[in-house]
Amino acid sequence: MVGITEMTNWAVDLIDVRKTYAKTIQALRGVNIQVGRGEIFGLLGPNGAGKTTLVKIMMTVVRPNNAFGTLLGRPLGHRGKLARIGYLPEAHRFPRYLTGERLLHYYAALAKVPRSRRKDTADDLLNRVGMAEWAGMRIDKYSKGMLQRLGIAQALMNDPELVVLDEPTDGLDPVGRRDVRELLLELKRDGRTVFLNSHLLSELEMVCDRVAILVDGLVARQGTLDELTEETVEYRITCATDAGTVKDKVKALGASVDANLLTLPGHDTARVNAAIDVLRGAGLVIESVQPHRFSLEDILVQVLKDQSTTGPPTPMARPVQ
Amino acid sequence: MQFWALIVDSFRESIDRKIFWVLVGVTALVALAMLSVGFHGDSVSLFFGMWSTETERFNPLMDYGRANLVGFVVYLLANTVMGWIGITLMIIATAGAFPAFMERGALDVVLAKPISRPRLFLYKYLATMVFVVLQGAFFFGLTFLIMGLRWGVWVPGYLFCIVLLVLLFSYLYCVSVLVAVKTRSSVAAILLTLLAWVAFALIHQAPVVFDEFPELKERRTLYTAVRVASWIPPKTGDFPYLAARWSRAGASIDAVPFFDTATASDLDREDLDRARKVEEREISKSQLYSIGSSLLFEIVIVLWAMWIFARKDY
Ligand SMILES: Nc1ncnc2c1ncn2[C@@H]1O[C@H](COP(=O)(O)OP(=O)(O)O)[C@@H](O)[C@H]1O
Ligand SMILES: [Mg+2]
Repeated sequence: MVGITEMTNWAVDLIDVRKTYAKTIQALRGVNIQVGRGEIFGLLGPNGAGKTTLVKIMMTVVRPNNAFGTLLGRPLGHRGKLARIGYLPEAHRFPRYLTGERLLHYYAALAKVPRSRRKDTADDLLNRVGMAEWAGMRIDKYSKGMLQRLGIAQALMNDPELVVLDEPTDGLDPVGRRDVRELLLELKRDGRTVFLNSHLLSELEMVCDRVAILVDGLVARQGTLDELTEETVEYRITCATDAGTVKDKVKALGASVDANLLTLPGHDTARVNAAIDVLRGAGLVIESVQPHRFSLEDILVQVLKDQSTTGPPTPMARPVQ
Repeated sequence: MQFWALIVDSFRESIDRKIFWVLVGVTALVALAMLSVGFHGDSVSLFFGMWSTETERFNPLMDYGRANLVGFVVYLLANTVMGWIGITLMIIATAGAFPAFMERGALDVVLAKPISRPRLFLYKYLATMVFVVLQGAFFFGLTFLIMGLRWGVWVPGYLFCIVLLVLLFSYLYCVSVLVAVKTRSSVAAILLTLLAWVAFALIHQAPVVFDEFPELKERRTLYTAVRVASWIPPKTGDFPYLAARWSRAGASIDAVPFFDTATASDLDREDLDRARKVEEREISKSQLYSIGSSLLFEIVIVLWAMWIFARKDY
């Protein structure tokens, strides 16, 4: 059993979250997710996986059919704790008659940020997201990217312990996306916990400490990037010429050959050397030997493939911290 | 703090709407028209003195003339200008507030704030009325000043029309919000609210029909049912009577100028009799009943809308 103190150590602890829309659409089918304090956590998965639904349940925007767990040590849905959480919704629509600066003040007031703190915080955040120049402009004149930057600033107005961002890089150009990555690391340095949603896997995985892959309303994989990509390493040996002649010999080592590329799954260096011996013995010139770690995208493709052959994944057990 | 933020936001939303300025324009026109009229003893001048005539009817120096004048102005301004045109424009202007507030992607941020849904709903509901409070205060405040400064007729009770206007608006606005939270459509909110307004007036008038046809009154159950039904909806039709009463202008029928019973035709006399009967009915009702029962209706509708609002997924 997990004790109370242990439970509250998680910044986010979601247990068996279920949501069915309109009695038929099973968006979440028993999701368990744990995020440690100070971590950047990525909830990844294809469109329609249920990521937004999960975040909306955390933020009390959608009412779950079933959900246990805590946010910052308080039960899910606790009103007071929401003052310590920042939230950037997906596909947000801000009141168009406000200027960027006024929007920050408005939302900060709703989050019970004292008036005395609002001005400085707003100025600081507008600078951080590169929007200071446009602070006095009406929102209906903003581009998608500017809106997204403002949205991120808005989520930080209450100096949150936990920041929940739904598709934060949505609508941003490559420079904007890099800025977001840097901002995420900054937030982590400040000691905040970041929970983010993304369907663009390769984009944010590099800054995440831990990730969960959500597919069809269930967590298919969860863990640190290392944990997830550990067993999915392969070595790629490139030859100068076609290696078809040694196909059968290296097959015994578990390798496959495609023209001049030889692929060896796993991270068994002895087998890699054995394969090199075979190639050298056959008089082939080796151009490069590269260990290749699977990206999350590769893993996701694999998960989806597994799922189509073996059916949906079963709910995962909670990890113990 | 949260309530204030929502009020300020509603104010900004209001002045962003064209119709807000249309109403300001209406007020300005009315003010200009009133300024162009002058009363000096028993002479009345129009168009800033370009034309004048003598009449005792509106002599502000005489009790009778003053009551006539105020009665006329209150009826015209409170009933026709604000009570009909103003309220209609306000219903149109505010119908979009909740649908916009609840638009997909707009409410998410707000719901994620440390405020409960019922409270958020209530704050937003009250904040939207800032529009009407402002317009009402501007209209009745300005016309109050013109009556005082230009005509020398100071009627402090007239300012109570601001409260009455906000009340009248709120009786209708609750319907608008109920439709809005159900359908998220401002068009539906406008249409159904106007329809409800007509329905309230009809139900309100239904017992009068029984006075016209005594044989109908024989059917006691029907009569009772109609009377009970007429208690339920808000008393939107009471606005001009309450306004007149607060302005201490005397009853409106009594202000019908120089109705000469000797020379009037039978038809006219019948008309006046009927009008008196209706008015007696109105005046015999207490304000407490009129406002209290209407507010009760409003509270029920607001709680219903709040319940829907609080239980939705966004
Ligand atoms: N308000 C809603 N009503 C009905 N179905 C919904 C609603 N919101 C989301 N869904 C459905 O729930 C599933 C999960 O959606 P969502 O949480 O938005 O996924 P993601 O954010 O991962 O793309 C989808 O099939 C979507 O169509
Ligand atoms: Mg989504």
